[in-house]
Amino acid sequence: MVAALSPLDRKVLRDLWRMRSQAFAIALVIAAGVGMVVMSLGMMRSLEATRDAYYDRYRFADVFAPAKRVPQSMLAQIRHLPGVALAEGRISSGATLDVPGIAEPITARVHSLPPHGEPRLNALALRSGRWPEPGRPDEVLVSEQFAKGAKIELGDGIDALLYGKRQHLRVVGTALSPEYVYALGAGQIFPDNRRFGVLWMGEEHLAAALDLTDSYNEFLVRLQGNASSDEVIRRLDTLLARYGGISAYPRSEQISDRFVSNELRQLREMTGILPPIFLGVAAFLINMVLSRLIDAEHDVIGLLMAFGYRGNAIMLHYAKIAVALSIPGLLLGIALGTWLGRGIASLYQDFFVFPFLTYRADLDVYAIASLVTLAVVLLGVFQSVRRVRRMTPVDAMRPPLPPDYSGGIARLIRRLRWLDEPTRIILRGIVRRPFRSLLGSMGVAAALGLYITSAGSTDNVALMINILFDQSNRADVMVTFAEPRDERALFELARAPGVWRVEPLRFVGAKLTGGRSSKSEGLTAASPGSDLNRLVDIMGAVVEPPPRGVLISYGLSNQLGLVAGDRIDVQITQGRRQRFELPVAGVIKSAVGSPAYIDSGDIARKLGESPLVSGAYLGVDPARTDELYRYLKKTPVIAGVTLRSAAIRGFDETLAETMGIITLFNTGFSALIVFGVIYNNARISLAERARDLASLRVLGYRRSEVSYILLGELALIVIAGLPLGIAFGFWLSHWLSSSMGGDLFIIPFGLAASTIAKAVLIVLFAALVSALFVRRRLDRLDLVGVLKTRE
Amino acid sequence: MASAPPLYRIEGLTKVYGEGDTAIAALRGVDLDVPASAMVVLLGPSGSGKSTFLNIVGGLDRATEGHVHFEELQLTELDDDGLTEYRRQHVGFVFQFYNLVASLTARENVALITEIAENPMDPAEALALVGLEARIDHFPTQLSGGEQQRVAIARAIAKRPKVLLCDEPTGALDSQTGVRVLEALDQVNRELGTTTLLITHNVVIAEMADHVLRFADGRLADSRPNPKRRKPGDMQW
Repeated sequence: MVAALSPLDRKVLRDLWRMRSQAFAIALVIAAGVGMVVMSLGMMRSLEATRDAYYDRYRFADVFAPAKRVPQSMLAQIRHLPGVALAEGRISSGATLDVPGIAEPITARVHSLPPHGEPRLNALALRSGRWPEPGRPDEVLVSEQFAKGAKIELGDGIDALLYGKRQHLRVVGTALSPEYVYALGAGQIFPDNRRFGVLWMGEEHLAAALDLTDSYNEFLVRLQGNASSDEVIRRLDTLLARYGGISAYPRSEQISDRFVSNELRQLREMTGILPPIFLGVAAFLINMVLSRLIDAEHDVIGLLMAFGYRGNAIMLHYAKIAVALSIPGLLLGIALGTWLGRGIASLYQDFFVFPFLTYRADLDVYAIASLVTLAVVLLGVFQSVRRVRRMTPVDAMRPPLPPDYSGGIARLIRRLRWLDEPTRIILRGIVRRPFRSLLGSMGVAAALGLYITSAGSTDNVALMINILFDQSNRADVMVTFAEPRDERALFELARAPGVWRVEPLRFVGAKLTGGRSSKSEGLTAASPGSDLNRLVDIMGAVVEPPPRGVLISYGLSNQLGLVAGDRIDVQITQGRRQRFELPVAGVIKSAVGSPAYIDSGDIARKLGESPLVSGAYLGVDPARTDELYRYLKKTPVIAGVTLRSAAIRGFDETLAETMGIITLFNTGFSALIVFGVIYNNARISLAERARDLASLRVLGYRRSEVSYILLGELALIVIAGLPLGIAFGFWLSHWLSSSMGGDLFIIPFGLAASTIAKAVLIVLFAALVSALFVRRRLDRLDLVGVLKTRE
Repeated sequence: MASAPPLYRIEGLTKVYGEGDTAIAALRGVDLDVPASAMVVLLGPSGSGKSTFLNIVGGLDRATEGHVHFEELQLTELDDDGLTEYRRQHVGFVFQFYNLVASLTARENVALITEIAENPMDPAEALALVGLEARIDHFPTQLSGGEQQRVAIARAIAKRPKVLLCDEPTGALDSQTGVRVLEALDQVNRELGTTTLLITHNVVIAEMADHVLRFADGRLADSRPNPKRRKPGDMQW
């Protein structure tokens, strides 16, 4: 086999074997770049494919039209609206549940199941058990994630408070719905599967409980292929207006889809930014390493030219070496990236609940990653070989003239009499090839910057938790009422066990319209001097609500195309449905959601009512929470209870955990790059300095003394790279956090000094390990060889 | 070789590369005394063992068998660090291809050694000794081959070594330049009394020696004194 190889091909194999440790470091860098691209794209595309397949297979509605009470006969009219392909009526309601073993009251959403069987729109994936039987009014399905979170088994009984009436229900099955990929209860911003559940029960029984016999209070619509959702919504609103239609909304405003789409959009943006940078940095480093490797082979190239090898054959020879050097990293990166991408996509199951996961690893992802890597590698070969080929064979074989160190800065170094000679060697080496030294430092900087950016996402999440839960949402418990109540309700809550502070919560459903578009967002009333629920921007600054006008979030200001001073059109979608204009008093960059705030007095005046409350923020004595929960469970007017501690846990267990794992892999990949870069730098410096160092050893220099020369240069290059890398990392993480904002989250920028310090330590550690490896090679310098050989 | 106490006493020096069937004997039992302050020229064809001999005597390589005594030291007993200290204190090397550090000036190349030596000359003094006082702040790239080799000699002698080992010091030079380099070596040997071992392929150079050693096939084939030591300037090739 080997005998059949041409001598040049044998040289390829021997060169690869000779360079094996460097080849390993190169493979790590390529694997990190390629792995990152394959992982991120694979994960993102899989989640998108899964979402699309889920929505399609389970016929997720395009338009949702809630109302108060609509006769079932209206369904026929809706089905005949132009653009409507499929429509279904149902009954939906909030409820609180009392689940054995859980102290606090649980918020739930209950939907009716059609009498004829399974829903045709927002179809359910039955995960265990069976469908409720028509003649058994107490049988319900519960959402699978809730069953797991609240430890509910098939056959268990649940007490539900529906419309103020207590109902005893029995769980006969678990199901998943495309409506609850991201399951949020009222007031929640993170899934809390223990304290928010979804129930499906027979239509007849739910109608009876809610006093909605022969009626629906919500319609689901699937559009015809080319129909405009705006047009259908307009017609639905007209049709349902007299039945208390609250304003129909498209799928993109459905809360679960908003979160899923927002998260996927963020992922896509992140995939568009960080992985290409990883691959770019890896490619840049490989290019640098290869050019220097080939430069060192100039005499061999000269010899081959002298023998009459054509330029293309020589080019091909080095291209083979370069490609062979890239392939292990490429394969490793693809394998690792595919494996991790699949793993992380399934990790998202904690966060987004899908009944299945479609893993998509498209060939184009592999092709792009491979082609970019190979193209950059071959470009490096081409540049270097061309440089050597411009010489005549004799020039190429002749040792290069001693490099000229007599330039300006070198002369300056000569004047520094106090420098010892080894230090002079280090300094002149760097000064003579400033560009190459700078490239070395830039390589270190790029690797460090990537590390800082990857590890820094954890800091951003930590800052987000701090802003959300320590500075903004400080209420231990938030309760929402089934209907708005007058302020006296707060006095009752103030007397509830364990409550030491009560602040009003007022939310008015509204459709907000600006110059560009409109959005069902609602107005949140804010009172100056609130302590339990403050307006805090992503810089952590507390913002007081303006006395007049509306304070809109940055996301809303973008969507509606409004800035401070503009006027916003407000269509209230509940009660008396007033319509009025408000001035935009300011824009706040809030971390979560796209809220609009208005002073509580101001909104009461606009609505012409005495101040009402939709719920309350409670400060609670931790020792008496169970007592309070028992009290709340028995209070019929309460539709939902949200706990700060549970929200924090929900955040930690879902978003933070998922991000943490992605961050861990990104960090791992950047650590590989850090190590690969520094080790290669050290190895190439060793190759270039080997002769000088061996001569010095012959002349009586000790190992430690020659190590100083080699490692001193490495140290300077690494140290020069540190500030560059910190600046690059700072800039990149800032850019990443600001460009990843969606309309649901804005990622605050919270890069911590400790992260930078840790990154610097990792770089120093990589440098130290590389130094130790190279130091071992210094011990094996060929002392006899330098006596005889010329450069 | 001489009656004065020798600087080196070498007994049964043997060097074998490889093992078993592939073993190659580079030195096959060389016995030799090298007197202090002598100028010794080593002749012999390629592969005759002279470079291996010089490497072992210079503390760069280890013998397979035999002993090398240097004053009180037993070189063949020293470990790597011991050999480094031996080279550092006692040995000056002159290489065929100069091996100057390109990023250091002539003075700095010499200072590289004086910095680690116990009782060195001033680098300028060493460079004056080889006639380079005018080129002291030049970089290697600004010096001719002969000048570079004389810097290398200055670098080798600046620490006042007891022995100077030169492997083909004129091999890369034309004859006129070669003579200037040999003059520098001759002058160092006469003025400082530095024992000098010089390998060459050029038989003419043997005329400047006190002793001529001829190696063949790993053995010392001939060892003879040269009663009429000539000045390099009088030699021609």
